[in-house]
Amino acid sequence: MLELLNTWLIAPFDYGFMRRAVVGGLALSIAAPPLGVFLVLRGMSLIGDALAHAIMPGVAIGFLLAGFSLPIMSISGVLCGLMVALLAGAVSKIGGQREDAAMASFFIISLAAGVMLISMGGSSVDLTHVLFGSILAVNATALLLIAGISTLILVTLAIIFRALVVECLDPLFLRGQNRRNGWVHSVFLALLVLNMTAGFQTLGTMMAVGLMMLPATAARFWSRRLEGLMAIAVVIAMVASTGGLLLSFHLDIPSGPSIILLAGVGYLFSAMFGRYHSLAARLRRKTAPLSAEAST
Amino acid sequence: MPLLFNVIVGHETAAIGDDTACGAVGAGGVGWRVAQMSQRTSSRLQLKNLHLAQGHRTVLEHVDGDIRPGAITALIGANGAGKSTLIQAIMGELRPAGGNVICSVPSERRAWLPQQLALDLTFPMSVEELVMTGSWPSHGALKGYCAVHYRKGRDIMARLGISHLAHRPLGELSGGQRQRALIGRTLMQEAELLLLDEPFANVDSDTVDILIRILRQMADDGTTIIIVLHDMDHLRRLADEILMLNGGHARWVAPSELHHQQLPAQAVPFSLGEHHAGTA
Repeated sequence: MLELLNTWLIAPFDYGFMRRAVVGGLALSIAAPPLGVFLVLRGMSLIGDALAHAIMPGVAIGFLLAGFSLPIMSISGVLCGLMVALLAGAVSKIGGQREDAAMASFFIISLAAGVMLISMGGSSVDLTHVLFGSILAVNATALLLIAGISTLILVTLAIIFRALVVECLDPLFLRGQNRRNGWVHSVFLALLVLNMTAGFQTLGTMMAVGLMMLPATAARFWSRRLEGLMAIAVVIAMVASTGGLLLSFHLDIPSGPSIILLAGVGYLFSAMFGRYHSLAARLRRKTAPLSAEAST
Repeated sequence: MPLLFNVIVGHETAAIGDDTACGAVGAGGVGWRVAQMSQRTSSRLQLKNLHLAQGHRTVLEHVDGDIRPGAITALIGANGAGKSTLIQAIMGELRPAGGNVICSVPSERRAWLPQQLALDLTFPMSVEELVMTGSWPSHGALKGYCAVHYRKGRDIMARLGISHLAHRPLGELSGGQRQRALIGRTLMQEAELLLLDEPFANVDSDTVDILIRILRQMADDGTTIIIVLHDMDHLRRLADEILMLNGGHARWVAPSELHHQQLPAQAVPFSLGEHHAGTA
């Protein structure tokens, strides 16, 4: 039995690339879910997807200039993502179009531009790398970058936490005090872009959103408190990223999809058996009046 | 008294049951105070020849007046008369087309309860936490709460009669409970200027009684309160000053004028406006 556990859970980490991958995955799992929780609470769940597309052209340009170098791809990715987000914000502010419509337009343009740029300069293997990631090729530099970005995200989130909560809860409350709180929104978007860049190396641009959103949406079924939501989301993300890595190691499948699919299983399980709003909770509620009567 | 409310126009019929109940209480001698409060300080909120427009449409013109500190000023007028517009302008949300609003209350001491709440009721937050957010503007975003804050929060909830709801999520509150919690937030904020846009809509009569008492206490403690009211009974019980908006103009009306009016004229504030148009 111990032998089996060892071969399945411990032995894979004898390899250096697995150790780096798991540390990178855990760092992302701490930073990404709290952002996802706020996205869900603000009703902006799909913005993450859009932002993931926005960093594509930047990543592609970095890739064309310097090959598969993570730092350069990340920096140009962040710059591009911020620029697209700013542009979308500007169009909606100046032109009066709703922000989500502006974002959707810009981000789909970015995706097309990114894919075109990469396929101009590289092979289809490179394209797959960027789109779906390769957690198994995380080197020490990449690890530092991921850990650094995750730390930055957590610290910034802690600083703007209350402002962000008030902005989600009651946007008019702070505005009523004549404070221009547009900066909270901007900083939050910047954090999202940063998180995407940390995630794309390991999970790919298309999958990076998964580790942010799925744990957050799943946590909604388990807690009705903000702290609880974040803690549960982080735990789900950690289990999913570690478990997904092991699955990908043993079954020889790509790491990105296996991590996200594991998180997806977590989500479906939560949707069925979670404490609140789940299928099981709905069934329980139907029988509640009788039992409540019996207990009183 | 109950008869009086039958005159009230359509959109207010929903409140009739509550109003008659309060009316019975109010008739017992609670009443509004005669506007002889202390003239402690000069006005901290002045309107100077204010001209307000929504888009190209002028809503209000030549609005003048000092809002008396520590008093409850009621805004009355028909739908579309510009009550909410005036509140937006005072709050700095709407830039005046002409004239100005001079407000010396620091921004972290201004509170505003709009008619259309932007409050996200699905947000995972308890009543106690909502009340505590009132301390954020002055306390800063980074410092933690200490025991003093929590004690103050509990005192406030006790005054509002919502102590038992402290840990209830916002989404499970009734309209009245929610309104009490929101007033609790402004108490926590130690607001010096409080703007309320129809705070008694969809609120049960017990809550109205408590809120009227609390608002009066706040005013006695020096808070300047501006409140949009539709209901004559509430007006009688709360208003120290009345600013009536009608046909794009604002006019100050003494509460005593309301008092001595014939009953039918009182029932609908805006008909009273027309009545006075001749005398003004």
